[in-house]
Order: sequence, then structure tokens, then C-alpha cells
Amino acid sequence: METLNRRAAFRLAGLSALGAALTACAPDAAGGGAPQGDAAAKTFGFTSWSLNEEAQKAAVQATVDAYAARNGVKIDTASFPYNEYLNQVTLKLRGGQLTGAVQLDISWLAALAAMGKLKDLGAQAAKGGYTDVALSSGRFQDKQLGLPWTTGSIGLVANTEILKKAGVEGMPATVEEFEAALRKVAALGGGITPYAAATKAAQLKDILPWMRTFGSPLLEGETITVGDDASVAAVEWYKKLYDAELIAPDVDRFDARALFAQGKAAFYDDAVITRGVVAAQSPDKSLTEKMAPLARPVLKAGDTPQALLWGHVIVVVDGEGSDAAADFASYATSDTATVAAFFEKVKLPPTTTAGLADPKVAGDTFTTAWTEKITKTATPNPFWRYAGYAQIETAIAEQVQAVLVGQSSAKDALAKAAETAKPLQK
Amino acid sequence: MTATLSRSVPITRAPRRRRPRSRAAAWAAVVVIGFFGLAPIYWLVVTAFTPDERAFTFPPSLVPTEITFDHFTKLAGNEQLFGYLVNSVVVSVLTAFLSVVVSAYMAYAFSKFRYRGRKSLMHLVLASQLFPQALLLVTLYAVFSASGLLGSYTALILSFTTFTLPLCVWMLKGIFDTVPSTLMEAAAIDGASRWRTLHRIALPLAAPGLVAAGLFAFVRAWNDFIFALTLTDPDRQTLPPGLVHTYLGEFQTAWPDLMAASFVVSLPVIAAFMFLQRYLVGGLTAGAVKG
Repeated sequence: METLNRRAAFRLAGLSALGAALTACAPDAAGGGAPQGDAAAKTFGFTSWSLNEEAQKAAVQATVDAYAARNGVKIDTASFPYNEYLNQVTLKLRGGQLTGAVQLDISWLAALAAMGKLKDLGAQAAKGGYTDVALSSGRFQDKQLGLPWTTGSIGLVANTEILKKAGVEGMPATVEEFEAALRKVAALGGGITPYAAATKAAQLKDILPWMRTFGSPLLEGETITVGDDASVAAVEWYKKLYDAELIAPDVDRFDARALFAQGKAAFYDDAVITRGVVAAQSPDKSLTEKMAPLARPVLKAGDTPQALLWGHVIVVVDGEGSDAAADFASYATSDTATVAAFFEKVKLPPTTTAGLADPKVAGDTFTTAWTEKITKTATPNPFWRYAGYAQIETAIAEQVQAVLVGQSSAKDALAKAAETAKPLQK
Repeated sequence: MTATLSRSVPITRAPRRRRPRSRAAAWAAVVVIGFFGLAPIYWLVVTAFTPDERAFTFPPSLVPTEITFDHFTKLAGNEQLFGYLVNSVVVSVLTAFLSVVVSAYMAYAFSKFRYRGRKSLMHLVLASQLFPQALLLVTLYAVFSASGLLGSYTALILSFTTFTLPLCVWMLKGIFDTVPSTLMEAAAIDGASRWRTLHRIALPLAAPGLVAAGLFAFVRAWNDFIFALTLTDPDRQTLPPGLVHTYLGEFQTAWPDLMAASFVVSLPVIAAFMFLQRYLVGGLTAGAVKG
């Protein structure tokens, strides 16, 4: 057997360094500079993860086809899986391979906007009739870079049948009432998790609205306030629920949905699409009738319920076909007949006042209740303004998990989280 | 001293029989390791036959209480997935072919010729394995974009080959090292050219290694997700990104459908391994000890 002697090892190391240097000197994929291409071109791209998702692709394709036929344009569609979408879109935008309209989750807007290649859609936004909360989801540094396609929120949903069995009268409005309701549900037994709250690090960002509920702004100016008295109190309360087995270990959104769908959870956090998702997993065909959205309980009566804004926007890449793409984005998000038909198929709430008032939307009591009780006071995650928001959330989540498993006190853990998050504010 | 020993110690000794207790321990280890290896496959198969509304039953049941073939029926009618399957076969077979052809010549040159810089070249080939894939992905993306190959099968096959080549070369070099040089010399004396010697003598003797290298390259291309997702157009993507596209969504993952599809698409690889396993074992171990 041949072994590496010292000289060969040095040679290998030298060659590795050479290779690394060559890799570093490889052509830059950034392709920066001014946007290129004919903005008035009649062919443009539309990139969307929904184009390949079973529940939505037909509805999205119908919108694309209708616009293309009506305006005599050609739309080249592309799709990437949701979990890989931001990486792929970023890479392609850097490489100059992405043109036209692009669907984005509102939390990704800052990451893409930082690349300086998105078109300002202020003119389209001004005439679209969008609600203020919807418009805020597509705004970045005073520029309207995205037109809101669907605007909802992540909030609490309850199984009213379980609550009834447990003797919970009405929906809890304060944290105290909520905790009392959880204890009543726990007393039912039968393996029911009273609150299928996120306890896995991957989803522990769900603690942020609770921190706000307890009074922490999370971010003041550029100062992260995680670690203040209010956020510490929120995490200590969460830990109390955990220790009392009112919330369960190792739960993320998918687990929570599964538990709720099986009638094994009384409350959990989800987006407005919860109804369709849960129905698909549940053996109980009448479960959707037992589901009710509720405003997140507040610390004291009169406080504003906290919820996380959630939704999708359409942005447009400056350059080839960007004028037509901006018009398409406007059509897809604000043409009342289009958004109402889209809602009918996919149950994603529209973003315009006229769209929300359309009988197809207004007649849906679950969505209307959700909008009134949860979305109305929902606010964006303040960390979304940073391209590294996901790492900031992870830093906080990991520390909250350390508290839950008893490895750290809430005060120490959150101070550490804030310290870790500080350099990520860029 | 030596004489004493030679009288008291027998020269040959019958092999000691393994004690029942150690045999039981070995079997226990096999069962435990087998459980960890087979449990995910068992769960995959069970989930594939479970109705959607039963797939999330809590607590989960190890034995299915209800069976359905719906997910396989749906799979049969999914033309898009068939397209991904065809792409996978095209890309994997061509990657395997290209890797074997190129690495065979390279390995033969490393094994049977002596020239200046040979060892440095061999180490350079090995050093290319040190770079993380994600690092190379960005560079390859830029290179393929600049050369107009982005989105094509070629981009994918070339990128996979860059990863499979180093290991294939080292694997085959070990095998060519075991082919006696006297055979080559005898062929040369009989008038065979180097080209003919390589093709008529060395390559047939290295056949198990070629199969092993080809299988390694095939599996590498078959299983890759991120390169297939990034470097090709959606209509040329292979099964791993295709399955994710089809079944993993923003809100929901169609686990039973995904498991059914995974079960079906793993069958060709299992069949290939079963058919070629005798070559594979021989190919992987050949060259481990020089003859």
C-alpha cells in the first residue's frame, strides 16, 4: 500500500491551495452592473414555486395563460421547490439568468432587494387598490419592490370540539385565560396535547409573537431587544407550559398539523391555509367545521393581539421584458375577477379592498374571521429587513430550546442569542 | 528452548470453534445493525401503502391497519415523473460511461507508465475531492452559463463526471497495478501495440473494476439533488429534484405519494446492484492487495 511521505503530503497541500486559489479566481457569477435587455420586450419570465405545487399549479397557470392570451405576450415559466427556492433564485439573479416576474415569500424580499436588481413597482402599487397591510409586505426601504399577491398571517387556530369537551367557554382572550384553557384540556387526558406549539429549533421562531405579546419590541432601531424583561418573561412562561406538559417536546409545524388533524391537539399556530392542509390529513371529514381562528391572547385586556404577517409578493427584475412583467404582476395581484377566481381555487386571501369584498371571498366565513381576528393586527418580523434574518431567528430559536430542555436560564440564553444575532444585522 | 517448544506445541492446530456466546453476540449485532438499516426501508414501504388520512395517525402504528394502492395508481398516471425518470437514466448512464472511459485511460497511464510529474498529477486528481460541492457549484454554474451549456444534459453529465472521476481513477489504478507487467511485455514481444495491449489484455482483466467504477458513477449521478436542480432546465431535471418538485410543497408534503414514488424509482438501482453485485465486490476489493 502506498503511503504519503512528508514531501508528498506537502505537495498535496500545495496543490490543494492552488486549486482553492483557482476556484477563488473563477469567473464571478455576480454579473453586476446596470440592468440589461429590452424592458419593453413582449416576452418575459415568470418564476414561481406555486407553478409546481399540486394544490395551486392549475390556478397559477390559468392566471398566466389568461394574461398571455389577453395581451399577446409570451411568458416563460420556471419553478423551484419552495425549500430551495431562495437559493436558486438568488443564484440565477446573480448570474443574470433571471428575468421578468418572480414570486417571493415576503420574508425573502430583503435578501433579493439587497442585490439591487428589482424594479420599483410604486406606479403599479398606487393604482392597484391594495390594503395598507398588504402593501407593507412588499415595501423595502421606502420602495415598493413587490406587489402583494396574497396577504395573511400566522396565528392561532383551535379545535372547538375539544374545547367544548374540556368545558372551555368561549375563546381565551388573555394569556391567563389561555393557560387556564390549556389546563382544562390537559385534564381530558387521552393523549391530547393542549397546545401543539413549536418546540423544535427549526420552528421556534414562533416564540417571537409571544415575546411581543409580553411587551418586547424585538428590535428598536438597530438594537435587538431580545433579552429584555418582556422577552425573558415570555420564554419563562413558555418553559412553564413545557414543564407542565401543556406543550409537547419536539414539535414543528408539520408535527403540529398532524396532531391537530388527528384530533390530538386543541390549539396550534399556522397560516390561513391551515383549513385545506389539515383537512387533507384528517380522518375526520368534519374537522374543518370544528376549526376556529382566534386572536393571540394578550397580556392584559385592551392590548393589541400579536400575529406574524405572512404572504407572497411578486417582484420584477429590471431588464428584459420588465415593463410587461410589471403589468402582469399588477394583473395577477389586483384584477378583481382574477384574484377572486384564484381565491376560489386555492383559498389564499387577496390583497386588494375590492378583492376582499368580492362575494367569493367575503362569503367564506373562515377566511373573513381569520382576516378580522388575526391578519388585521399582524405585523412583519422586524428581522426580515436583514438579509441574514434566518440566521438571527435560528440564533434565538436555539437559545430558547436550550431553556426548554433546562440547559440555560431564559435571561442568560436570550442575552447570548442577542449577542450571536448582533453581527448578523446586515 | 526451541526443542522443548517444538515438542510441546503442535505445528498445526485445528481452528478453534467459536463459542456459542460469541456467536449469539455476533447475531445480536447483526440484528441491531440490520434493524437500523432496514427500518427506514420498511417504513417507506408501509407509508407507500397507507391511505393519506392514516399516514399521520398518532401514535404511529408499526403494522398498517389499512392498505391502499392509490399512490401507485397515481404514480402510474404521472407523465411528468416518467420524464424525470428518463432524464435520470440518460444522465446516469452517460455519466457512468464517460467516467469509466476517461478514468480507465487515466488509471492505466498512472499505473503502467513512468514519467515526470506522475505522482503530482495523481495527487492533484485526489486533491480535487477536497473541495465542497457547494463551492464548486457556483463556479460550475458560472462556467456553464458563460459557455452556453447551462440547462443542458451536458452540463449535468460533465459536472457529475468531475466528481466521480478522481475516485474512479484511483480505484482503477489499484486494479491495473495488479495486472502483471509481464503480460504486457509478452504481448509486446508478440507484436501487439500499446493500444492493442490495453484493449485486449488490460481492460478485460480489469472488467470487475470497470463495473464497480461505473456503478459508483451511476449511483452518484442517480442520487444527486442540488446539481440536478441548479444546472439544468426543469424539463431536463432528474428524479431527486423531480420528486421534491412533485411532492414537497410550501404547506404540505405528500408523504405516502413520495414514498410510493421513492419505492418504485429505487427498483432500477436495486436491480442493477443485484445483477452486478458479483462484479462490484470483486471490483472494489481488487487492488487492495498487490499480487
